[in-house]
Amino acid sequence: MEQVLATTLRSAAPLVLVAMAGVFAFRAGIFHLGLEGLMISGAFTTVAIGDATGSVGLGILAAIGVCMTLSAVYWWVIGPLGANVIIAGLGLTSIGLGGTAFALGAIFDIRGSMFTDVVLPRPVRGATSGPGVIISEHSILVWITPLIVLVAWIVLRRSRFGLRLAAVGEYPFAARSAGVNPSIVRLQALLISGALCALGGAELSVGTLRNFTENMTNGRGFIAFVAVIFGAWHPIGAALAGLFFGFADAIGIQSQINITERVPREFVLMIPFVLTIFAVWLGGLWRRRTLEAEAGYAELREPDY
Amino acid sequence: MTVPSGPASAEVPAVRCRSLGVSFGTVQALHDISLDLAAGRIHALVGQNGAGKTTLAKVLGGLQAPDNGTVCIAGNQIPPGDVRAAKSAGLAMVHQHFSLPPSFTVAEALELTAARPESHSVYRRTELYRRWQNEVAEVGGTNVLATRIRDLPVETRQSLEIVRALVSEARILLLDEPTALLTPAATDTLFERLRGLRDDGVTILIVLHKLREVAAVADTVSVLRDGKLVLGPSEISGVSQGQLSDAIVGPAPDTDRAIAVEAATDVEQQLLLELVRVSSRESAFEPGLASIDLTVEAREIVGIAGVEGNGQRSLVSVIAGLSAVTEGSVLLGGEEVTRAPPARRRLRGLRLVPFDRNSEGISRSAPLWLNQSALRLIGRRRQFPLISLRQYKRQASEAMDLWRVRYNTVAQPAESLSGGNVQRLVLSRELASGLEVLVAAQPTRGLDFSATNFVRSSLRGLRDAGAGVLLVSSDLDELFELSDRLLVMYGGSIVARFNAPYDRQAVGDAMTGALR
Ligand SMILES: Nc1ncnc2c1ncn2[C@@H]1O[C@H](COP(=O)(O)OP(=O)(O)OP(=O)(O)O)[C@@H](O)[C@H]1O
Ligand SMILES: [Mg+2]
Repeated sequence: MEQVLATTLRSAAPLVLVAMAGVFAFRAGIFHLGLEGLMISGAFTTVAIGDATGSVGLGILAAIGVCMTLSAVYWWVIGPLGANVIIAGLGLTSIGLGGTAFALGAIFDIRGSMFTDVVLPRPVRGATSGPGVIISEHSILVWITPLIVLVAWIVLRRSRFGLRLAAVGEYPFAARSAGVNPSIVRLQALLISGALCALGGAELSVGTLRNFTENMTNGRGFIAFVAVIFGAWHPIGAALAGLFFGFADAIGIQSQINITERVPREFVLMIPFVLTIFAVWLGGLWRRRTLEAEAGYAELREPDY
Repeated sequence: MTVPSGPASAEVPAVRCRSLGVSFGTVQALHDISLDLAAGRIHALVGQNGAGKTTLAKVLGGLQAPDNGTVCIAGNQIPPGDVRAAKSAGLAMVHQHFSLPPSFTVAEALELTAARPESHSVYRRTELYRRWQNEVAEVGGTNVLATRIRDLPVETRQSLEIVRALVSEARILLLDEPTALLTPAATDTLFERLRGLRDDGVTILIVLHKLREVAAVADTVSVLRDGKLVLGPSEISGVSQGQLSDAIVGPAPDTDRAIAVEAATDVEQQLLLELVRVSSRESAFEPGLASIDLTVEAREIVGIAGVEGNGQRSLVSVIAGLSAVTEGSVLLGGEEVTRAPPARRRLRGLRLVPFDRNSEGISRSAPLWLNQSALRLIGRRRQFPLISLRQYKRQASEAMDLWRVRYNTVAQPAESLSGGNVQRLVLSRELASGLEVLVAAQPTRGLDFSATNFVRSSLRGLRDAGAGVLLVSSDLDELFELSDRLLVMYGGSIVARFNAPYDRQAVGDAMTGALR
């Protein structure tokens, strides 16, 4: 049991971080399907630069820089160039997945996985049994994640910037008539989103593990996006959804270890995804009333980007 | 001529624009407009639907960049399409369409649009409520602060837009049809407030349709026709009503056209719409219906009077099938439809002009022809599944031409129409063949006066052709002029029934609940 909870926290941290990235974008009116691509770019850059400099801090800074740059490019493509948001987002994901695999081969001449010695500090370690296991061996990013969620909540729900962001996402005309430039606000949201994806990727590669593997995000960017929708694009809601998906993942991992003799492995691997679908369905039922009430207003969105 | 009191009348004009031009595709919305608005006065701007009033106001407010021409506010030239520059020059605007995000609470919306620079960038909720409680006291009490914009009735939303503009302590106020949604009493209050602001030196530009209101509040009047400034700004005292309406309509005046709608009523059927002891649940801002009995027969117009928020909205949505009936039954042409979905009721000949044309009447992003054909498509349930787009588009453009909708192509999205033209689009769809009962909520809202007359004569024409009409309006004159019978709603029930000729005093008493 303690082991499941500990694994839940570790699995959930990158999901929650990337879900926060998704919430920022979603509230600015951007259906961000490029999260996966940013996340894997963050994971790769952390390992590559961290290994080269020997400093995990520098690695993470570089990852943040790369992901923010990619986000700015994404903004430029969907904003000034007017490309379709969803297609461009999927493109970003493909570039991230393909680009990191290519760079791994081209720069380091490695196929598959690249191992490294750099790792994030782990404030509490050493417990092997009892409740201590739950909080032991987590990277510093796992510890910081709740703080990031709190800050995201304050920024989005209790600050004037958050109001401008939500206005841009919901009804750009309202934002424009309040003197806000929707395009700039979208850029700001995407930059924040990029930085958070970099952290999520870093946690994945040097938080629990010490390597970068091709396609190591394995759909986590999309699951984080589902968490955004499931959590009603509220930072706390999305974080709880991320935690839940982390839990589903942990159950999958645990049962893989315990019951693989009796149940087919593939079935066990399905558990997190089945739970996810079920949860999304439940969430849909629960929110149907509000969605119906909003149907008429969805029309207010101006197609101006 | 002596200029009435106004401290700053001899100085630079508050607003000066030179040869403004705006076009949307092939439509020239504004054509070479040059205009000076003297400071400290109330300027009215009038014109037909689609004349370019909203476009002009948006250009002045920086929301629409002009193709050519310049705008100066208090002597300083404003970069084209720069809302912030216009704002910091002291200009505030009340839009014809709502400009507040629907999911925001009232407090959040005010904080977004009207926040003062000294407030912090991070806030606490209680702090917001405290900051805005005085401002909203008059639009529905302080408990309104935590309500979401989308849950407010349109009238309250409109008042809120005005509040929002007034709290910014602007020196120049642009109001685009602010009275379209207000009751006569609220209109008087607004005008009183505007006069007070003018006496403090604020310059006001107000878009109006009713010449009565122009005469009541304005110092000068300007007329737009087809994107050109054809009159003014001239002192209101120097222009007669006749001159004004000639300027608005132009050399080829609208003759009173007869409505070409044939109602599909068979003569035997007398009782078209019947509500038997109908109750419904209350909504955020309205009482539910409390055991309402109501009939609409063939060949009659039944008027519903009442102060806004006394259940009129619930009544319309219960008849339309948009909200649930808790008790009682609704019958259309003798058939029970209490639980029938809206489409079934449509097929039974029910037509609806909803309160909020923009969120309930049209799909803003859909093309005009699709909006116009929606009813014909519903009617096709059991027919051959393929349709001819050409034919649908042609029918749509014929119907819209009948209603003189000003549009470019049938493929343009409905949101690109001017406010009054959206209303005409809704009417052109609903007042078409197959109509047996029409529920018309504020059908003349936002229409210019020739269109208003057209709607009124159409309603009479429908009645004479055998249809039944339920007319919900906040304009007592309109109700008195059109209704064969008049019912007054108060607190979710019908408290009084009148027959023509109407006694204004008695109706007014019933509306305030004095008869209870
Ligand atoms: N975004 C747009 N795209 C295309 N045409 C537009 C757009 N906005 C306005 N128009 C057209 O410009 C003309 C002027 O519109 P405007 O909204 O200024 O009229 P208005 O005088 O305010 O009318 P109303 O009394 O109906 O509100 C109309 O013919 C309208 O169809
Ligand atoms: Mg207008």
